[in-house]
Amino acid sequence: MVRQIIRVLLMIFCLEANAQQFIGKEGVITFFSEAPIENIQAFNKKVGAVYNASTSELVFSVKIKDFIFKKKLMQEHFNENYLESDIYPKSTFIGHIIELKENGYAKVKGKLNIHGITNNIIAEGTLNVNKSKAVIKAKFRLNLEDYNIKIPKIVIYNIAEVIDVDVEIQLYKYEG
Amino acid sequence: MLMSKFNFISMKVKSLFFLFFFLNLKIVAQENLLSLLNEKNETKYASYIFKGTKIVNGQSVEITSENELKFNIQHRFGPINSGFYNLYGLDYAKVRFSFDYGVNSWLAVGIGRSSVSKTIDGNVKIKLKRQAKGVNNFPLTIVLNSASYLKQYTSEDKKKSSFLFTDQLIYSHQILIARKVNRDFSVQISPTFIHYNLLDKTYRKSNDNISIGFGCRYKITNRVSVNAETFPQIYNSINDNVLSFGFDIETGGHVFQLHLSNSAAMIEPIFITETNSDFFNGNIYFGFNISRVFTIKN
Repeated sequence: MVRQIIRVLLMIFCLEANAQQFIGKEGVITFFSEAPIENIQAFNKKVGAVYNASTSELVFSVKIKDFIFKKKLMQEHFNENYLESDIYPKSTFIGHIIELKENGYAKVKGKLNIHGITNNIIAEGTLNVNKSKAVIKAKFRLNLEDYNIKIPKIVIYNIAEVIDVDVEIQLYKYEG
Repeated sequence: MLMSKFNFISMKVKSLFFLFFFLNLKIVAQENLLSLLNEKNETKYASYIFKGTKIVNGQSVEITSENELKFNIQHRFGPINSGFYNLYGLDYAKVRFSFDYGVNSWLAVGIGRSSVSKTIDGNVKIKLKRQAKGVNNFPLTIVLNSASYLKQYTSEDKKKSSFLFTDQLIYSHQILIARKVNRDFSVQISPTFIHYNLLDKTYRKSNDNISIGFGCRYKITNRVSVNAETFPQIYNSINDNVLSFGFDIETGGHVFQLHLSNSAAMIEPIFITETNSDFFNGNIYFGFNISRVFTIKN
């Protein structure tokens, strides 16, 4: 009898853990650098994320090489000189939703890894979940120095030291 | 009775075990969430094998990016050993202007005009294969380069009875084979076939010339690389082989290239088959390239 109850409980536990997972692989991250000489903008349309609603865990994974720039020479310098994508091919975020209001406002806290360096960050945005879909939007700012991304003096007027990052992704229920 | 009690305890142990199992699962869950995003069938292409579309004088496997128009200004000065009277060669400047356009991700075309022997050239570069790891594993990047050259002529040349338009044409065809050995070091072999329609006995024994070029680059820092290049002639050569060294320096939006070479020419037929100076005797020409890139479409 006890054994059966435990089994049923475990099964429910199990099901719930799987049923509340959302996954998306076509999110968009845009970043923008505003500097005196040149504004730099790039986007990545292959952003991956998983959200587990029962544990409020949220992870993101982005390939650096998938960032597209209008100027291909900029894209080359971004990969070769600044982000060194051959050594650090991916950027990841592992975190939790720490605040979620009825209107969708969400606050997320976690570890962001870029260029091989991990920092704790807190970002604000929105998270709207329904039965089959979750939509995440967030905006935050990054300081390049925190991630050991060095700008040579010669281009200091071309590249801003603080970058605006914009995230938008749709996640779908994952039947694992 | 005893048996059933034992059973009950063992069940408790089992359920505890299960509980721990699930606690454990929760701890590793976040890592698992990330692993859900891993792609299994990935191909990692080697990119940025060279900084420029040329190693020094010769073509590299890099082609002009899609929808980009590149305007190049190339300068070669006189021989460095020509003394202070000629400011070590800087008094004599030879120039080549050219445009390169990336039609798509595997095709680029270019036109240019050199002041050396007043030649107009056009070329087509086709990327056949890319060095990759993973599903489409392939060890080399292979590019075809085909160029035609027209030596300009005057109306007086045209009046001569021996004048033939086709005599002014030269062709060169290359298979460029490169490998990025590691992030700093890349090598390239460039088998080259050159055909002159007109046989000028002072420069060559036959219309056809074959050379196997070697080139490499080494990145000293993320922004500076040293390049070297030579084109030994293996068939019917009567001239010196070209040997060139170059620095590629990135200055923000551009690549600035500085060269030392025993040829002042900037087009393949002339620097491969018509070089007539010994690098190690100081017959070296200094030169530089600057380029400006325009993005044609978004």
